[in-house]
Amino acid sequence: MNEFIPLMVIIPIVCALLLNLLHKKDNSTKIIAIIVAIIVPIIPLIANYGLHYFGGHAPLIANSTLLSSLPAEIANSTLASFHPAITYSFEAFQKLFIFILGIVAFFAIFTSLSETKRTSGPLMFLMFMGIAAVTAILLTDDIFHMYVFFEIAALAQTGIILTSNTEDNYETALKYLIVGSIGGPLLLLGIGFVLGVFGSVNITDIVYSISNGIVDPLSPTVLLAFGLIFFGWLYASGLPPFHTIKSSIYSKALPHSAALLQGFTVITFIAIGIVIFRIFSYLPYFKTLIIIFSLLAMILGITMAIMQTDFRRMLGFLAVGELGYIGLGFGLGTHLSITAGLFQAANEIIITALLFIGFGTVMYLTNTSNTNKLGGLLSVNPKLAIMVLIGGFAMAGVPPLNGFQSKLMIIQASLDSGFPEISIIAILVSIATFMTFVKAFHSVYLKPKPKDLKLVNSSVPKPAIISIAILLLICIILGIFPQIATDPISQFVGGLI
Amino acid sequence: MIEIVVMVVAVLGCILTIMQRDLLKAAILTGITGACVAFLFQFLLASDVALTQAVVGAAIVPVFLALAVYKTQRMDDQ
Amino acid sequence: MIEFTIDTQLAALFTSAAFIVIGLFAAIFLDNIIKKIIGIAFIEEGANLFIVTLGYKQGGIVPIFLPGMNAEWFAANSAYPLPHALVLTSIVIGASTLAVMLAIAMVLYRKYGSLSTAVILGDKKPDIIKSGVIDSNEKGDKNE
Repeated sequence: MNEFIPLMVIIPIVCALLLNLLHKKDNSTKIIAIIVAIIVPIIPLIANYGLHYFGGHAPLIANSTLLSSLPAEIANSTLASFHPAITYSFEAFQKLFIFILGIVAFFAIFTSLSETKRTSGPLMFLMFMGIAAVTAILLTDDIFHMYVFFEIAALAQTGIILTSNTEDNYETALKYLIVGSIGGPLLLLGIGFVLGVFGSVNITDIVYSISNGIVDPLSPTVLLAFGLIFFGWLYASGLPPFHTIKSSIYSKALPHSAALLQGFTVITFIAIGIVIFRIFSYLPYFKTLIIIFSLLAMILGITMAIMQTDFRRMLGFLAVGELGYIGLGFGLGTHLSITAGLFQAANEIIITALLFIGFGTVMYLTNTSNTNKLGGLLSVNPKLAIMVLIGGFAMAGVPPLNGFQSKLMIIQASLDSGFPEISIIAILVSIATFMTFVKAFHSVYLKPKPKDLKLVNSSVPKPAIISIAILLLICIILGIFPQIATDPISQFVGGLI
Repeated sequence: MIEIVVMVVAVLGCILTIMQRDLLKAAILTGITGACVAFLFQFLLASDVALTQAVVGAAIVPVFLALAVYKTQRMDDQ
Repeated sequence: MIEFTIDTQLAALFTSAAFIVIGLFAAIFLDNIIKKIIGIAFIEEGANLFIVTLGYKQGGIVPIFLPGMNAEWFAANSAYPLPHALVLTSIVIGASTLAVMLAIAMVLYRKYGSLSTAVILGDKKPDIIKSGVIDSNEKGDKNE
C-alpha cells in the first residue's frame, strides 16, 4: 500500500487546517486532535516499504514503454536514470522514526489538552503543521523539498513559542526568526550552488553524479555549497554557535510543547545530517569538522546546563548537549558509529520528551520553574518522582536503560576508530549529565519545602502520569532489547556507506 | 542594455532603502526594488516567476511593511 | 565605435551578490527592527535571483512549449525551467516569514514603545510593568 506514504504528511496538514477553521469550538477541536494524534503513529505501521513518486513520474529507466520510444542518445545517457518527480522513500528506518515522533506527538498533545484549561486551536494547528513538516523532511529524497518543509517547521516552532504566554516569549521568537531568516536563505543559496553544479535537486541523482565522475567533486563551487549547507545544518540543529538560542526556545515554550519541539529538532538534525553525509562525506576534513562541532556542543551544552537555576533552561541545554553524541556518530563515519548515533537520536527523542513532560508537571503544580524556590514535591506524587528519576538515569546512560546502550555503542565505535580521547570526553560528559540531573532532582523533589511555596494545583493530571509511564516503558524495552531499533537502523546505514 | 540599467536601479534602491531614516519611504523603496527584480526575472526568461514576484515583491511586501510602520512609529530614532 | 557588451548572466550574478551583501549588512548591523526585516527580505530576494540566474540561457526563449514547435529545437533553446519552479515556492515562504516577523515586531512595539533591537533584545531593558496586553494569537499565513 504505497498510497499511505504521502498520507503521513497529508493527514496532519489537513487536520491542522481543519483545526484552524474550528478555532473557537473547544470540544470538536479536542476530539479531532486526539483522533488524528492516534492515527499519526499508526500509519507508518501499516504502510508498505517503497518509493512514492509525486504525480507518478517514475525515472525513465523504470518505464520501459516510454524509454523505447525515445531517441537512443537520451535512452542511453545518465538522464534516463534521473528522478523527474519529488520522491518519498519509506523504509524501516523512516518507519521507526516516524513512529517515535508520532508517539511523542500523541503524548505531547494529550498532556497539553489535559493541562491547559482552554483548548488552544492555534497551538494544535501549529503542532500538527510541525509534525507534517518534520515527517516530510524525514521522508523526502529531494533537497529543495527538504528546505521548504524546514522553513515551515521553523515557522511552526516560532508559532508554538508565541502561543505559550510565558515571560519574554515574543523576544525569543523574534530572535530565533531573525537568526533563522539569515540561516534559511544561506541554506537556499547552498542548494542553489548544488543545483548549479549537478542540475538536479534529487539526492540520489547527486550521489550518482559524484560517484560516476560526471562532475568534478572537488571544485570550489561544491566546497562553497557544502559550507553553506553545513551552516544551515548548524542553525537547524542548534549546534554551536546556535546552542543558546535553541535552548532558550525550549525554555520559553510550555513544557509539553517543548517535548515536541526537541523531537522536531532531533529529526531535522538527523535528516539533514544524513543528506550531508550522503553527498559530501568524501570531502577532506568533513569528519573532523563534524567531530569538532559535536564535541563543542557536548561540552558547551553541559557546562551551560550545570550553571542554570531554571530547570527548563537546564533541560534545554542538556538536550542540545545530547545532540553532540549523534553528531559524533556521523563524524566518526563507520557503520557502527552511525548506527549508534541514530539509535542515540531515537533514544534522545523519547527520554527528553519524558523529562520535559515530567518536569512540566512541576510547573503545573507550582507555576514556577526556578529550582531555588522549589522543594519537597516528592510527597505530592512519589511514583511520578521515581519515574522522572529513572528517565534522568536513562539520559545519563545508566544500565540497563536505552541511553546506556546507545552511549556504549558510541564509545565502542570511537575506540574502534582509534580515538580513545573522544570516548573519554563522552564518558566525562555523561557523568556530568548525571550530576546535573541529580542536582536538579534533589532541589525540586528532595530538598525541604520552602515556606513560601504554594501549590497552584493539588494533584497531577492522570494523562501526564500515563504519558510518562508509557514513555518510560519504551525506554526500558529499548534498553533490554536494543535490536528492535538497531536492526532497521543498521540495515539503513549499510545502504548509506 | 536595459537589463543592466534595471540591475543598477535595483541595487541603488537597496542601498537607498537601508539609508532612509523615514521608515515609510523605506517601505515604498522596497517596492521599487521588488519591481526591478520582477523585471529582471522577465529578462532572465522566467516569466512565471516574474508574475509572482511582481505581486509579492512590488505590492504585498511593501504594503505589509507600510502597515507595520503605520501601527508603530514612522521615524527611525537612531 | 567600441563594442561594449556585458554578459547578462554574469551581471545578474553580481546583482544577486550585491543584494545578499547589502541584506546581510542591514540584518546584522542596523538597529531598527523594520530595517533588519527589510534586510532579510533583500537576502531572500538575492538568493531567489541567484537560483533563477542559473537557469538562464544566452539568446534562449521562455520555457513554454507552444503548439507547432519543434521539440528538439525547443530543448536546445529554452531556459532551464527547474529553478523557476523552485523559486516560486521560496518567494511565498519569504513573504510569510516576513509577515510573521512584522507581527511580532508590532506586538513588541506595544510592549516597549520602541523599535530598537538594543531596547527589545538587549540586556538594558527598561522596567515596564508586564501587563497582559499580549493576548492575540498571531499566526502567519503558512500556505505553501
